[in-house]
Amino acid sequence: MSRSPTAVAQRRIQSELRDWLQHPPDGCKLVQYEDLRTWVIQLLGPESPCQPQLYTGQTFHLRILFSERYPLEPPEVTFLPPSPVHPHIYTNGHICLDILYDGHNGGWSPALTINKVALSLRSMLASNTDNRRPPGDADYCARMRGRSPKETRWEFEDDSV
Amino acid sequence: MTFEVRIKKWHAVASWTWNAGDDVCGICRMPFDGCPPDGKYPGDDSPVVWGICTHAFHLQCINRWLQSQTEQKCPFCRRQWEFKQAVVGGEDESEDGAGT
Repeated sequence: MSRSPTAVAQRRIQSELRDWLQHPPDGCKLVQYEDLRTWVIQLLGPESPCQPQLYTGQTFHLRILFSERYPLEPPEVTFLPPSPVHPHIYTNGHICLDILYDGHNGGWSPALTINKVALSLRSMLASNTDNRRPPGDADYCARMRGRSPKETRWEFEDDSV
Repeated sequence: MTFEVRIKKWHAVASWTWNAGDDVCGICRMPFDGCPPDGKYPGDDSPVVWGICTHAFHLQCINRWLQSQTEQKCPFCRRQWEFKQAVVGGEDESEDGAGT
């Protein structure tokens, strides 16, 4: 369990919060940020440029948990259940997306913001045409019960979805 | 007709800014002309540095990021990070250093 954000992290989170409230990204709404450390974002299912429309009209909720070392460390980002059905999103809300993780081939950078993360996730939904869970979904969820997706050793190989 | 003007006292006023293109540091998101969250004073105590990729950050911020990583990459473009040498007194100063 990570401790609460340091002063450095808090000021950065406050600055992002200010930017977000002034210019919220398309289809996203911040519904909780009281303690600054945990944000909940409502994500409107995007319209897809192609058929089938898998998420249009649905809403999802993203939970953002900032660690004390943010932005040197990525925030923990998960969907609150029910999570969207997608080949890179597990039933427990864990998301296989490189920018959400650091270390071993992770793609997190401190230049990323929650705004950009939310947009990436919406576009990940918009471009999907495969109405399926990742392979091994049930096993993974059973194994990870109550644990952070940051403990998973992810392999990011498929950029097409 | 001529006047003789004698200056008894004068105040010099100067302003400065870091010539970094962006307004805020991409790591702490605080203004370049201010200081990073753990810095005390703006200016020389909170210097702005450039990578050879031309991206700029507060020195404290980029150092903290590089120290936390095994690979030394620019947070913006992910190219190998190398500090760009400052050009002192050269004509390139407007591009590479702090305006005064």
